[in-house]
Amino acid sequence: MALWELSSLEKYLGLKKPNKYSTQGDKKVPVLQNNNGPPLVGLVTLACHLVKEAKRLELLGDSAENRAVVQQWLEYRVTKLNNCTKDNIKTILKDLNLYLQDKVYLAENQFTLADILLYYGIQPIIVDLAIQEQEQYVNVTRWFDHIQHYPGIRRHLSPVVVLRNRIYSSRHH
Amino acid sequence: SMALNLTINTSNVPLGALLAAEHVKGSVQLSVEEGKDTRLQVSEYFNDANSISRYLARVAPALGLYGANMMEQTEVDHWLEFSARRLCGQPGLTEALGELDLALSLRTFLVGHALTLADLSVWAALKGHEEWPSQGKSFSHVNRWFSFLSSQVPFTSVGNKYTSKKS
Repeated sequence: MALWELSSLEKYLGLKKPNKYSTQGDKKVPVLQNNNGPPLVGLVTLACHLVKEAKRLELLGDSAENRAVVQQWLEYRVTKLNNCTKDNIKTILKDLNLYLQDKVYLAENQFTLADILLYYGIQPIIVDLAIQEQEQYVNVTRWFDHIQHYPGIRRHLSPVVVLRNRIYSSRHH
Repeated sequence: SMALNLTINTSNVPLGALLAAEHVKGSVQLSVEEGKDTRLQVSEYFNDANSISRYLARVAPALGLYGANMMEQTEVDHWLEFSARRLCGQPGLTEALGELDLALSLRTFLVGHALTLADLSVWAALKGHEEWPSQGKSFSHVNRWFSFLSSQVPFTSVGNKYTSKKS
């Protein structure tokens, strides 16, 4: 699953020469052979490497605080989301919904790599939500719809239909 | 194309029109100066803030400030009217904010997936409204949308320059 994400990211970043990745272990952790040193291992390591290669450092956060927030969500993606079971999907959506209540992006007002990788990771969950659940996790849904329309991000992923007017509750509480 | 000239009344700054002007500046020849009355000089002239915004959005269609299609254009018109009638100084702000909050719960921008005149004019109306700062906390979706725009260029510069002048 991680390999298409890395090639989508390469395209978004406008990197001309696509890298060849391999995978290691049962969990198919992505690996990039590096000519100048030891191989680079892991989705987050590789994604950050691509961002630096493309000289798009702002995608890693533009302040010390934002950089820490970006790293936190990248880690969340590979530890929590990648290992999520049917039982804790609801907990993840609930927590994320609360976090996004007052934010447009994960790092508040700045679009970062964390938004891209969390979008790729959570897409299979959002596809399966009923309209009523979309409204239940309204802040996740709004963030998701914004990122899937962000220029150059969605790639081959199918767009999830999101209603932009609420139908289950006319009140917001 | 011909050069446009926008004059703004500094004692009653048309923030929305000024934001529209800042957005189209790179696409059309436009000068902004301060004067007694707000007006956009074309062959005739416009002196209503929403008319000025509409004209500016239409001379720079590539920016998409009037929406991406006819439906979005109608939505933009709705919000221009909403900001002029419901948010500019009239009583009943709380009710209007309730409607705005509901609309923004599933939207990052008011219309479509990018910035339009709707965002500019509603943001400008709230920015200039005396009661908005005290009401902001009760409407979390409006508040998120408002702070997001406030953190972006040119909202930062226009907001700082003209609201500090007013007080």
